[in-house]
Amino acid sequence: MTPMRRKGLGPLILIAPAAVLLGVFLVLPYLNIVVMSFRMPGQGTPYGPGYTIGNYTKFFADSFYLLQVANTLWIGLVTTAICLVVGFPVAWQLARGAMRFRALAYGLVLSPLLVGIVIRSYGWTILLGNAGLINRMLTGMGLIDRPLPLMYNALGIVIALVHVFLPFMILPIMAAIQGVDPSLESAARSLGASRFTAFRRIVLPLCTPGIQAGCILVFVLSLSAYVTPSLIGGLRVKTMAVTVVDALIDTFQWPWGSALALMLSATGALCVVIFARLTRMKWKVARP
Amino acid sequence: MTEVSIERLTKTFGSARAVDGISIRIADGEFISLLGPSGCGKTTTLKMIAGFEEASEGAIRFDGKDVVNVPAEKRDIGMVFQNYALFPHMTVDQNLAFGLEMRKIAKPEMRSRIAEVLDMVQLGGYSDRYPNQLSGGQQQRVALARALVIEPKILLLDEPLANLDAKLREEMRVFIRDLQRRVGITTVYVTHDQAEAMTMSDRVVVMFGGRIAQIGPPSDIYERPENLEVAQFVGQVNLIKGTIAGAAGPGKSRVACVFGDVTVDSRTDHTPGAAVTLSLRPEAIELKPAGQGGAQGKVTARYYSGSIIDYRIALDSGETLHVQTFPNIRIAEGDRVSVHAPADGFWLLGAAK
Repeated sequence: MTPMRRKGLGPLILIAPAAVLLGVFLVLPYLNIVVMSFRMPGQGTPYGPGYTIGNYTKFFADSFYLLQVANTLWIGLVTTAICLVVGFPVAWQLARGAMRFRALAYGLVLSPLLVGIVIRSYGWTILLGNAGLINRMLTGMGLIDRPLPLMYNALGIVIALVHVFLPFMILPIMAAIQGVDPSLESAARSLGASRFTAFRRIVLPLCTPGIQAGCILVFVLSLSAYVTPSLIGGLRVKTMAVTVVDALIDTFQWPWGSALALMLSATGALCVVIFARLTRMKWKVARP
Repeated sequence: MTEVSIERLTKTFGSARAVDGISIRIADGEFISLLGPSGCGKTTTLKMIAGFEEASEGAIRFDGKDVVNVPAEKRDIGMVFQNYALFPHMTVDQNLAFGLEMRKIAKPEMRSRIAEVLDMVQLGGYSDRYPNQLSGGQQQRVALARALVIEPKILLLDEPLANLDAKLREEMRVFIRDLQRRVGITTVYVTHDQAEAMTMSDRVVVMFGGRIAQIGPPSDIYERPENLEVAQFVGQVNLIKGTIAGAAGPGKSRVACVFGDVTVDSRTDHTPGAAVTLSLRPEAIELKPAGQGGAQGKVTARYYSGSIIDYRIALDSGETLHVQTFPNIRIAEGDRVSVHAPADGFWLLGAAK
């Protein structure tokens, strides 16, 4: 006989602070945004009287905004893919590498997080600009005649986002790899699998949860990133987050900005759901 | 099947020699145990045979063919790991199929081989379970089945019973030994448990500090240990100080000790008067009521454990003895006793190499 777990207010009291915080500062504002997105545009005021679905019809009618959503998703996708490819080997070394190397690498991986995002993004403008360090070096070495367009385009944004969000890919994957017993690879190899097959058939499926978490984190963060795209993309390339802030703060159109923000959230959420379905683990390990 | 020959095998990690020039010849179908304390190089040796660890020097031959440069996956070995290393995301069936898929065995043959092996380890009907739905003993048998289903040249086992409870461990010893006899596969078994090594093996290789201290059948290892280290590692032993009293026929020496003059096989060229150490196993000693000859002493402690009783005896001459008897003689703590040791219970220990 296992003793019945005492049911009481204990768990509720423990989650109460977080629940209140989320409720007051996340759920309520969110509801406010939803309501706001159905408001009439204002004349000289943030919003007008009455309700409409006009903000949404405007969004779907204008291919400019649809294209911008697609562009934002594309930037998020490419950033995520590059982070995965670049981050996985690092995560592997962190999880399985020699102890001495590990402490140093762990510090290096975390170090970008210690510097504010504005400073990091600003740093990239110094590197990537037409008169930036990279272009000056390449021209100085005589490799190029004209500066390469590294800034004010999607390429620059992706480069900077990869740098900023790489730790969010590495850390969950590292944790997942650490959870995979190295003797499983040995077992697979003793059964005749090459290193690569052992990795593909055994290690990779077992660290899928970490890969999933890392990809979702980086993707969502990339979609909602504001500082980096606005500094690197400038006026030329705008992601949805930048457009939303423009609408809310620069042109002062709260209903329109709210509708844009919600469309960004919705498409992002949809992508995450599709991704989660596609990478869903085909095996479920039942508890005994 | 396969004969394994290990020649001057060495593994160095930096300046440390984890395995230091060991040579073993393992006959086809033989069950060999590598026995020793942790850090003695037994697991490193096994890993080198498996191909997970590169040999620094020496050769490993399967049927005369050196496999030192053959990668693990091409050596055709079956390996059982201490923590079983079952693939948690695969069912029992899929775990067993893995090695067969690597060998591109056709589906129908795969099915029949898996069924046959599962039957052999008494796990028919478990093929759809995931490893964590099985008990420790069942997981162990799946690991064994997975290693055997590929019909490897040799079977390697790395402390496979270390994570099981005592009763199950004893059952599995017999189970693995019987299975190995039936399949007739050359087997190398790594353990630090001397009882395990002795019950299962044809021959035991005792290792200390990367070197082989003794190779031989279990009875040799136990009854005729090469040196002090082996005697102490394999079971309980009393060490009796003595001096060589003289020769006692061909190959025999007379040694004077607390039990009087005893005759033992002379194993080193001892001159009379040389100090030597004799080993005397606790169960070889006989206790009788005081005053019946032999060495005299007093029981200082008594530990009853069902099938046997352990005694600590303080001899009047100052030595302490460890004695094991069947419970049919009852002697209490504090009793004075006569201690008898049969002449063939003594063994002259060589100096440690």
